[in-house]
Amino acid sequence: MSASARYCWLERAGEQATLFLSGTWHLPRIAEIDAALAGAGMPASPLTLDGAALTTLDTAAALALLRRIAGAGASIERLANFNVSHVRVIEAVRARVDDAAVEAGPRHHGPLAVLGMHAIEFRGLMEGHLNFFGRSAAALGEVALRPRVLRLKELAAQFQHVCIEAIPVVVLATFLIGVVLTYLFGMQAEKYGANIFVVDGVAIGTCRELSPIIVAVIVAGRSGAAFTAQLGTMLLTEEIDAIRTLGLSPMQVLVIPRFLALVVALPLLVFVGDVSGLAGAMTVANPLLDITPTTFVERVHSELPVNHVIIGLVKAAVFAAFIAMIGCRMGMTVSRDSRSIGINTTSTVVQCIVSVILLDAFFAILFQELGY
Amino acid sequence: MNAAPVIEVDSIVTRFGAQTVHDGVSFSVPGGQIAAIIGGSGSGKSVLVREIIGLLRPAAGRVRLLGTDVWNASEEELSALRRRFGMMFQDGALFSSLTVAQNVATPLIEHADVPPHLLGPLVRLRIALAGLPLEAAVKMPSELSGGMRKRAAVARALALEPAVLLLDEPTSGLDPITARAFDKMLRFLCNDLGLTILLVTHDLETLFGIVDRVIVLSQGKVIADGPVKEVRRVDDPWLQSYFHVRTILEGATNNHGT
Repeated sequence: MSASARYCWLERAGEQATLFLSGTWHLPRIAEIDAALAGAGMPASPLTLDGAALTTLDTAAALALLRRIAGAGASIERLANFNVSHVRVIEAVRARVDDAAVEAGPRHHGPLAVLGMHAIEFRGLMEGHLNFFGRSAAALGEVALRPRVLRLKELAAQFQHVCIEAIPVVVLATFLIGVVLTYLFGMQAEKYGANIFVVDGVAIGTCRELSPIIVAVIVAGRSGAAFTAQLGTMLLTEEIDAIRTLGLSPMQVLVIPRFLALVVALPLLVFVGDVSGLAGAMTVANPLLDITPTTFVERVHSELPVNHVIIGLVKAAVFAAFIAMIGCRMGMTVSRDSRSIGINTTSTVVQCIVSVILLDAFFAILFQELGY
Repeated sequence: MNAAPVIEVDSIVTRFGAQTVHDGVSFSVPGGQIAAIIGGSGSGKSVLVREIIGLLRPAAGRVRLLGTDVWNASEEELSALRRRFGMMFQDGALFSSLTVAQNVATPLIEHADVPPHLLGPLVRLRIALAGLPLEAAVKMPSELSGGMRKRAAVARALALEPAVLLLDEPTSGLDPITARAFDKMLRFLCNDLGLTILLVTHDLETLFGIVDRVIVLSQGKVIADGPVKEVRRVDDPWLQSYFHVRTILEGATNNHGT
């Protein structure tokens, strides 16, 4: 007996063909059953099915049977010797089997169409950001006119999250950047005996450029992403709708405290980063370049004009405004499923980092032209 | 064959911290029945279902599902068992990044050796068995209404041709017409495909309409177990107030009739 004969075989008596089914017809064996049906050689005429030897029949196997019969151009004339429950299964499947051969999958677009869709999406994103910036500015104006609407408790809680809890990671990152910079500058400068100028370079570079950028990127990944995830989850659980329904403004309750907390926190964190970066530089300057801490501090004092530090802090405040706005806005525009929280959070981090770098380039040119 | 118990729950004890949710819950459900667990809020109905399917370990007691001792089974036995029952979670728990058809196809692709040309038709059959229109197949879960999400979840639970189907509040949040259609679909699955169904519900219409057997949980125990007509006569304050509305309605209808 061949393998396929275990499941079904065909017998002909003159014009009449009978397909005998036998054994266990269920989903785990569907591939074998389907192969057996394909090899049964069904004629394109009405068939009698005999289910006397059938022990199990589930809907998946019944579907395979019905599709193979239809595929061969045959039809079921009669069900003979079938168990009542097997007949029910066949009838249940027969009533629901569809002729739709094509699966309507998601449509695929050409590269040009994809580019166009992204361009339109980008325009929508920018319009949305502008709109949100406008509404936030209006909400800030309201706070300025009526300071009572400001939620101090929420502001303090947010400040705790975005500033105090970020200090260790900021200190660690900027300290190491200070160490690495001094090490690299030092190796070059030593060749010319220009050891002391390393202090100038590291101090100006850290305070004006590196500390703001590094800290802003850390905060974008930490707080920007957190804002999106928090607000997105609140939107999904209808908390934001509840806030609106209770006659409160989500802008005042959620966005403004986060915005203000971050705008205050980021310059403070950048200052912490400045100090810690210089500390890192000072730590390696002594053994590597023979610059004692006293000399280092004196040199910083005389060669680091305070405007470099101030420029760094001003930039930090602007970065913070962008990070807070992007984070909150992406959270408020989550669509109604959990997948989009992940998508929006990723998008927030990317947008924040890109905008921080673009803003920094803009500031570099601006301050150059202004002569600072 | 239908007489052998498909679900056996034996002296289950569940504690969350100091709070005892179940204090010796036992019942068994024979094959081919629709059984319903009812009970007040916080009586641990959903928790019990999670213990039956091996998601939450009870503090004491045994669960046998389709002959497998759920909490003493090896990983292979459990994995074999998981292909033989389907679960519908309260809000569907569909994978939100996949379309309905992809949701239904997931267990088939992972666990069954379906020939590629049969996969699409089989997915559509599952969707049709759950009573969803085929247009829903290409939609994302977020585009579906609550009732359709529940049906899509049933379609996914049916994918591997389970012998047992467990449902957590299948008709909650549905309008009465949709809910009754859902009940009819469950009765069809039980009658025509021979599934054993255990559901957690609050819906009186479901109890009177399609359920063979009602298990009542209260204060950590099973206080009544049997056909709804018998359970209704049990003298318990919670049960009496639960069925009270129905009693009033029936009284009104009878008066109207005479």
